[in-house]
Parts: sequence; C-alpha cells; structure tokens
Amino acid sequence: MADTIITVEELSKLYKLGTIGTGSLRQDIQRWWNSSVLKKQDPFFSLDGNDKTESSQYLWALRDVNFEVKRGEALGIIGSNGSGKSTLLKIISRIVRPTHGTVRGNGKVSSLLEVGTGFHQELTGRENIFISGYILGMTRQEIRSKFDEIVAFSGIEQFIDTPVKRYSSGMYVRLAFAVAAHLEPDILIVDEVLAVGDADFQKKCLGKMREVSQSEGRTVLFVSHSMQAVNNLCDTALWLNKGRMQAIGPVHNVVNKYITQVQQNKLKQEWESPQTAPGNDIIRFKKLELVPQLEFPNAPLDIRVPMKVKFQFWNMQDDLSISANILLFSYGGDCIFDVPSPAVLCQKGLVEGECEIPGNFLNDGAYYISLYVVKDTTTELYAFEECLSFELEDFRGDIKWYGKWWGAVRPKLPFALKQNESAFVLT
Amino acid sequence: MSAVPDNKWEISGKTSYWSWDLKELWGYRHLIRSLVRRDFLLNYQQTVLGPIWILIQPIMTLVTYVLVFGKMVGIATGSIPPVLFYFSGIVLWNFFNDSFTGTAFTFKENAHIFSKVYFPRIIMPISVISTHFFRFLMQLVLLVLLMGYYALLLDASIVFSVWLLVIPVIILFIGTIGLSLGLFFSVLTAKYRDLINLVSLGVRLFMFVTPVIYPIGSVPEKVRWMVELNPLTPLFELFRFSLLGEGTVTVNGLLYSVCFTVIALLLSSLLFNKQGDKLIDIV
Repeated sequence: MADTIITVEELSKLYKLGTIGTGSLRQDIQRWWNSSVLKKQDPFFSLDGNDKTESSQYLWALRDVNFEVKRGEALGIIGSNGSGKSTLLKIISRIVRPTHGTVRGNGKVSSLLEVGTGFHQELTGRENIFISGYILGMTRQEIRSKFDEIVAFSGIEQFIDTPVKRYSSGMYVRLAFAVAAHLEPDILIVDEVLAVGDADFQKKCLGKMREVSQSEGRTVLFVSHSMQAVNNLCDTALWLNKGRMQAIGPVHNVVNKYITQVQQNKLKQEWESPQTAPGNDIIRFKKLELVPQLEFPNAPLDIRVPMKVKFQFWNMQDDLSISANILLFSYGGDCIFDVPSPAVLCQKGLVEGECEIPGNFLNDGAYYISLYVVKDTTTELYAFEECLSFELEDFRGDIKWYGKWWGAVRPKLPFALKQNESAFVLT
Repeated sequence: MSAVPDNKWEISGKTSYWSWDLKELWGYRHLIRSLVRRDFLLNYQQTVLGPIWILIQPIMTLVTYVLVFGKMVGIATGSIPPVLFYFSGIVLWNFFNDSFTGTAFTFKENAHIFSKVYFPRIIMPISVISTHFFRFLMQLVLLVLLMGYYALLLDASIVFSVWLLVIPVIILFIGTIGLSLGLFFSVLTAKYRDLINLVSLGVRLFMFVTPVIYPIGSVPEKVRWMVELNPLTPLFELFRFSLLGEGTVTVNGLLYSVCFTVIALLLSSLLFNKQGDKLIDIV
C-alpha cells in the first residue's frame, strides 16, 4: 500500500495579471526575435531573480510545492481563496502546464473541477456519461458495466435522456460527481463542488469518496472549505498559503493550525488617540475586541466556544444617557441578533462595555459585528459598521452527519427523548 | 486492492514539438467516434428538415451560382454542363471551407471543456474533420447522382476513366490542407482575438482565387499566377478532370500542391503540439 502514486517536485506556476494574453502580434514577434535570434534575455518570462514576486504584474499562483501522495491515501488541500488550491489540481489534472517543476504520476486521473466537468450542454445525461468515460480512455463495455450504478447514485433516472442544459445545477453536480467517482480512476480529484448539492447528496459523496480511497485503494485529492469534511475524509492535509506550502501532515494537526492562524488579527482593533480613531464629535472608539474563552491557547474557534465582545470609546459630552447595541450579522448580511445594553448616564471620558455571546449558540460560519452607540435609547450617536469579524468552525462531536447544518443559530436547548413502558402497544 | 496500473505520466512546464503519442491517441478512438456522432446529432436536433440540410445547402448554392455566374455573368465552363461544373466545385470547396473554419477556432470554442478535463487537444480537430468528411461524402453521392442523371437522360458525355482512382487522394489532400491551416490558425486565434474576423473574411476571399466558379483556363494570363499560387488550384482542376473529364492539370502544379500539403501539415502539427497545452492559460 505504500507505493507513491503522485510525486510533485518544485512545482511553480506564474500568472501574468492584467491583460490576458501576451499583447499584440508585433510585440510577440519582437520578443521572439530578441530571445531566439539575438539571444538576448527575454524580459517577459525569465524566471530567475525574485523581482517578479514583488511586481504587481505577476502572480505566483504556486511556488515550490513539493509533496508525495501514496496509493489509497486521501489528501485534503486547504487554504483561503486564491491560495493556489485549484491551480494545483488543474496542473495535476493536466489542464494547465506548470511554469516549472514536475508532477509524476501513475494511473488514470479523473477530475471534477468546479461545477460540471466538461459536460456537453446539448447532449443527454446518458451520452455525457459515455463521453466522460471515453475521455478517461475507457471502452464502451467498461462504461456499460458501470452505467446503472452511476445513474442510481446520481438519482436522476427520470432525466437521463434529457439534455443536461435543462438540468438544475444540483442535478448537474450529482451526475458529474457520480461519473467521476464510478469510472474507476486511479486518482480521483475533487475540487470544491459539494457546496452545490443538497446536504443529503454531500453526505453521499463524502461516503463514496471514503469508499473509493479506503476500500478500493484509490487515491483521492480533495479541496474543500469545509474543515469538517476534510477532517472526516482525509488522512493527510496540505495547507497552501499564497501559493506556498504552509504545512503538510496528519489532517487534524494541519486543520487545527490552519483554523487558528486564519482567525488571528480579525478579532481586535485599537486606536492610540481620539484624533485618529473612528467616530464623530461625540463618540470616538478606542478599542474593540472579541475575546474567545478558549480552553487552551491555539484551540480552534468553534461553535462551542463562548466569546466576549469588549469595547471602549471616548465620550466628549457631559450628561449624556448612552446605551450601545451589538448587532451580529451572518456573512450573507442577515442580522442574527440586535442586543441593546442598558442606558447609563455618562460624563466626558472613557466608557467601557462588555457583552458575552454564549457557546453552543451560533451556527458555524462567518460573522461580523456592528456596534451602535445610542443616546436616550432612541437617537443614534454613532454607528460603527462591520467593526469585528470572525469565523466559527463546525463541531459535531459524535454526530455522523456531514452536510451543512441548517439554521441561523444552533443553540443547545434542553431537549429530551424518552420512551414509555407501553411503547410496544401501537394501538 | 486493484492491480498496480502501469500508466505512468509526467507533467512539466516544457512542451515539445515532437511528442505525438500515437498509442494515447488510439486509446481515444471511442471519444472521436462519439464526438462525430454528437456533431451530427446536434446540428440537426430541433430542426424541421434534419440531416437533409446537408444537401439543401449546396443545392441552394448551386442554384445561385448557376443563375449568377452561369446565366448573368456568363462564365464559360467548357464542355462540362454548368450544373455539374459548379456542383463539383461547391462540394469540394465546402469540404475545404468547413474543415478549415471548423478547426481554426478549436481553442476558442472549446475553452470551457479544455479548462475542465484533459484529453489530447488534437482530438477535437480530428473529430471535426471526420464529421465534415462524412458530410462531404453525402454531398459527393448527390454529385454522382446528378452525373448519372446527365449521362443517362441528357446524353452528356461523361467518361469514367481510371483517373477516378485519384479522387480519394485528392480528398485526402484537400482535407489535410484544411486541417493544417486550421491547426495553425487555431493557435493564432487563441492568442490574437482580432484574427478571428480576418479568418472568416480571408476564407471568403480565398474562394475567388480557387477555381470553384471558373475553370483556370478562363483566367486571363496576366492574373493567372494569383490562382496558380494557390495550392488548392491543381487539386480542384484534377478533381474536375478525373470526374468530369475536363481540367487543366500540370505535373509542376501537382508537385507544388503535394509539397505544400506535407510541409503545412508538418509545421502546423509541430506548432499545435508545442503550444496546445499552454494556450489554456490565455484563452
């Protein structure tokens, strides 16, 4: 089981930003003339020197990435948006070429990148299954033998002879995933696609991928923003940050490191003097802070963790009846709650506030907080929008459900289930 | 555990000119077949007349040409009946035209597929050429039927000679020139968008320096070099000569066409090989 199936060495990919393409035909000919005929150095694609890294015209989507994947291993690739995850998968899928470095592999690769992996819109689901199989280099018989399984898994029996352009995006992804996973690739590559399907199907996909890697001994490369899914499916994880490898290793270690690092610095804002601080003639903010009550430092910030919102502001007027409102918004912009403090009569000087958000109350996801300072509980003095933001990781404990949990909040309520002695009498 | 697959591959930044993996291409034969089938189905799905369009289109062109160039302009077609003269030209030109324009935008038109899945990029142009080849065959059958009609009912003198045997070779060469120019331009149109307009305009003008609507014999000596410079010219003349018994064919002309075809195929496939996998970054 220990043989290496993918070796990635010194892999780098350089993109030029701005205008797509290299410019006009004339410039290209000039470039070619300089580099090929006059043997001057080509200023456009010379890769030595680090000046490119700083130049805003170029972007290293990947920089010196090295790793190996063994047969039967499931590797999760994590990182924030634009960290090079998709570029890496595209290179391994042979869709784009690296700028330098090599990838060596062994076996058939089937990839599911973004939504709908190269389906032909006009063709029916049935025809697309065959074409996808042929693209993998399979024969008609091999595809036929898998056909029923694919259709059953995707759950679109009724629509199998309908052109895929009429499919809903959910159906599309279901079929695409079913095809990619069932055509027996040696290496299955899945980019963040599960976000589209419903929770039920996501669970089914994760189950199938686990089966593919664990029972069938195939290799899975999996990109996801759901740490829960990565944790559950993968043995190892690779964390990419701005194209570079930040960490690789056992999945729990890497995921925990990632979560704690990504969440730094968004939780606190502080200003030295009232002159530079945000605010107006009456109110100036000094300090805003979200303090998670973690059990130990560097523990991930998940839905179980209680948090304290602490803030300080300068008040510039005497005899002012001040209250504050904390508004919590989901990243999508829905207000989850709007909590007022009691009103207090304040004099000139520093005012402090503190509010506790209990653990086991919010659902997982990204949130931001706005803080309003109000006079006489009616007139707004200053509204500090989106002043803090944070992300709550999922935690399920022993719940074997991997889909997205529904609901704006996820409180732990007193909830009991019991069975009467006479439960077997069903009349 | 499944058997250890013996299917090693390597991806690096270098692309080479000489890397035709014929074994790999053979593995994709099913894909080519189903792409050809798809093209046939798609072109005629949601149409009333279906595949009859393959025949209607050249027939309408024929009627126009006979009226405009035959009756109004009055171009002499020698001893060949004008209908057969024009139709043979139209059918062969369509094959070239479709092969060329069908492949010249390979990267631009397939960008959405090329950016999602890997397969040798050359598969797409090959399947397009194959589709147009089958279409051409259907039109050729119509041409033969027309010839039969003229021979039997109108007593036109149509000689069936051993020259008929070169027709498959002519078709092969026409298709190859179409494909070669198509591959060449597919790389260019992916890089330089403004060439797209130029290609469609160019191919239309190109028809007028090809003996489609006139025999080369009727071209004034002064400007004949323009037509003779066109590598398609000897092939068109030979096509008419072998099929209809009249045409101006010279050994030098044919040699020129053959050399052009071989060189064009070689150069364009080298270019396609070298650039094919890199283009997806800029399409």
